[in-house]
Amino acid sequence: MKAGYIFIIFLVVAAVQIVVPTQMILNREEVLNTGAVYKFKTRPVDPADPFRGKYIALDFEADSYKTTNASWDRKEAIFIYLDIDSLGFAEIYKVSKDILPGLDKDYVKAKVDWYADYNGELNIEYPFNRFYMEESKAYEAEVAVRENQRDSLLNDVYAIVYVKAGESVLKDVIINGMPIKDYVEKEVENN
Amino acid sequence: MNSKIQSDIKELVEQQVISQESASKIEAYYQSKKVNTPNRLFTVFGVLGSLLVGLGIILILAHNWDDFSKATKTFFAFLPLVIGQIFVGFSILKHKSAVRKEASGTFLFFAVGSAISLISQIYNIPGNFSSFLLTWMLLCVPLIYLLRSHALAILHVVFMTYYAADLGYSFISNGQTPWFYLLLLALVLPHYGQLLKHKTNANITSIFNWLLPLSVTIVLGAFVDNMDAFGVLMYVVLFGLLYNIGKIPLFNDQKLRRNGYLVLGALGTMYMLILTSFDWLWEDIIRNTLAYNSQEFYISVVLFVITTGILVYSFSKKWVAAFNLSHYAFLIFTVIFFIGFDNKFIPLTLINLLILMIALITIKIGADKFHFGILNYGLLIIAVLIICRFFDTDMSFVIRGLLFVGFGLGFFLANYLMLKKQRENKGELKKQ
Repeated sequence: MKAGYIFIIFLVVAAVQIVVPTQMILNREEVLNTGAVYKFKTRPVDPADPFRGKYIALDFEADSYKTTNASWDRKEAIFIYLDIDSLGFAEIYKVSKDILPGLDKDYVKAKVDWYADYNGELNIEYPFNRFYMEESKAYEAEVAVRENQRDSLLNDVYAIVYVKAGESVLKDVIINGMPIKDYVEKEVENN
Repeated sequence: MNSKIQSDIKELVEQQVISQESASKIEAYYQSKKVNTPNRLFTVFGVLGSLLVGLGIILILAHNWDDFSKATKTFFAFLPLVIGQIFVGFSILKHKSAVRKEASGTFLFFAVGSAISLISQIYNIPGNFSSFLLTWMLLCVPLIYLLRSHALAILHVVFMTYYAADLGYSFISNGQTPWFYLLLLALVLPHYGQLLKHKTNANITSIFNWLLPLSVTIVLGAFVDNMDAFGVLMYVVLFGLLYNIGKIPLFNDQKLRRNGYLVLGALGTMYMLILTSFDWLWEDIIRNTLAYNSQEFYISVVLFVITTGILVYSFSKKWVAAFNLSHYAFLIFTVIFFIGFDNKFIPLTLINLLILMIALITIKIGADKFHFGILNYGLLIIAVLIICRFFDTDMSFVIRGLLFVGFGLGFFLANYLMLKKQRENKGELKKQ
């Protein structure tokens, strides 16, 4: 094959290599710009990923749903219809295996974590359970939150999630009314 | 030309084995050969350098600089990608050397990975690790062919194995089958085919002769939910497949250390046979009925059909030494697997006999070829077999002891006899 042809194919490949990540960005930006905002009560812990750096994993309060239907496969895709409770936090309105066209509520695509037969609870794995942080701060963040939770000073830790047509983007994690990044910086300064 | 050959030539001229004229010819030959081979060391360092720089960039970006704005972070996500693409484009357009292509390709490979991962970071996209790897692989596959890059092909094989292992073996994700592994494997095979065709004896080809069977061996288990009875059968057949591929002259005519198929196939088969010469598997089979409608069963069937196909073809080409049981060990095992259900003693006896026969045949092949490695491998099989049987049989200690002593003596005797025979042969050669 001539170098010219190879080069043309390469240009196509290079374009795809740029388009795929760009598309990822655009999809996310669209949800952030036009999606509805929900606050999910959460509790962070600290693992890491070898390539993508440090993140804090988020455990959500609204991560289980009582249902008598026991036929759920692990990792099965499900749709979580959301509502807002009296304190302004997100709660689960309904869980369904299919999109419900008649229901006028926001929903996010998630996965089945597991179903517990003994109490009829379906546990849900949300697609926004990771919040990436600067490596030095991820562990501090976990410690800060844990300490405060133990002292029960802190019960407004929540994640801000934008939701649109099943897609969801985690914007930030808020502790005591400020972004977790600022909160950790302040905690480190205080100590 | 290396100094060993130079000093050898000098010695040969001094001893009047070859004339000065032939010495110059030989030297000229090696000189011309050297001009034609690209600087291998340079390629290796070029690739290693790009690899380290690429990984370094991923790590630096993984720090996740909080103080940068989203736009700045995004800019830095794309920067290495674009730089890599410019390098690669330049290498293609200007017909740069293979070294340049390998190095720039390797750099671009990691730049693609860092771009995707940084964007996942900026937007908190959790996406599981395996889907991230899959996107990365698919975006870089064409580069293997556009650059004819071996380094990229090796990275592809390593990362596709990583992908499949991550998806199939992660302890909570029960039952996710890495089907895309098959696609990734198929995508790299044409490159391997070209290597086999044009560079059969090159070092790079033998790297793939090891990497590919190793990858398949690692990944096969990811295709099953649990390693029960059919899981065992599946691996026995896989090792049979590798062994029979390794015996195709294309591979078999090469040195053993270049033939990963044969080595992995032979050792794997023996490992599985020894494993199944204990009674746990057969007791398990008797207790539970086999689940025929399972992924393991279908994969076993597919592997079995392919392996039998290769065996029949090898037979028609007369590549198979009829007495060498290792070729059909998988077949015999499969038959035993399906008949020995209501009684564990029949299959156990047969498996033990099969191991013994393979060991004896190996010893015979070793002796015929004067190959101490093969001979002792055969003896080792018997030794392992005996040791294993000592765990699950009630023999008196005296008999066990005598057996061990007898077998140890056998080891010495076999090696001694062969050494003696070899010396005699050499002696005859000298007399002539």
